[in-house]
Amino acid sequence: MTLYEKIKALYPQLEDKDFMDTIRLQNDSDGKGDYIAKWEHPTLAKPTQEQLA
Amino acid sequence: MSQVIIAGDTSGTITLQAPAVSGSTTLTLPAATGTVMVSGNMPAFSAYANNSQTISAGTFTKVQVNTEEFDTNSNYDNATNYRFTPTVAGYYQVNGQTNATSTSTLTRIIPAIYKNGSGYKYGTDITATDARSSVSSLVYLNGSTDYIEYYVLLSGTGTLSTAITAVLDNYFQAAMIRSA
Repeated sequence: MTLYEKIKALYPQLEDKDFMDTIRLQNDSDGKGDYIAKWEHPTLAKPTQEQLA
Repeated sequence: MSQVIIAGDTSGTITLQAPAVSGSTTLTLPAATGTVMVSGNMPAFSAYANNSQTISAGTFTKVQVNTEEFDTNSNYDNATNYRFTPTVAGYYQVNGQTNATSTSTLTRIIPAIYKNGSGYKYGTDITATDARSSVSSLVYLNGSTDYIEYYVLLSGTGTLSTAITAVLDNYFQAAMIRSA
């Protein structure tokens, strides 16, 4: 399951546009994988490592 | 003035002179200060991604644009960081395009120019299946530490990836258009 899928499972109310504006998942193609580069959602808390494990 | 003559001599001096003909023979250069740019000191590159790259949905991913068509000043890293770090300060025209596909359904493509590791400009937000989208922007780069990279966000189901028609529509380019 990708990071995006984990976050969508945690917060199913998130829409595509949220991942363009208030949330930015990123992969720098450096072998380190996907990560949360920005989380500025007005109501939903940034997931913890435990939630994403 | 009907023509401009560029004349060189054996001392290495090149003189730009107006022809001695009747009428206007005055060549006027603008009073603005700055550096005269010629093709030899204006970096430009063009590269394409010579492979298909799998991308996680909803995730801005750096596109590994790995095959150079030209790189006039050796400022584009096509092997490790896939970034353009020009050594001449100025304003650059930057272009990028991605053709993407999915094993199931592709619903969105957003290409993006990144500057110094952060999103700088988004391209056209395409919401279609098996489509392409591009981004174009002017970017100031300081000629030392500033760099640009090309990212893309895909959405949909199934395995999402950039398509293999790379030389035609998975590319990243930049060219200096004026000095700082």
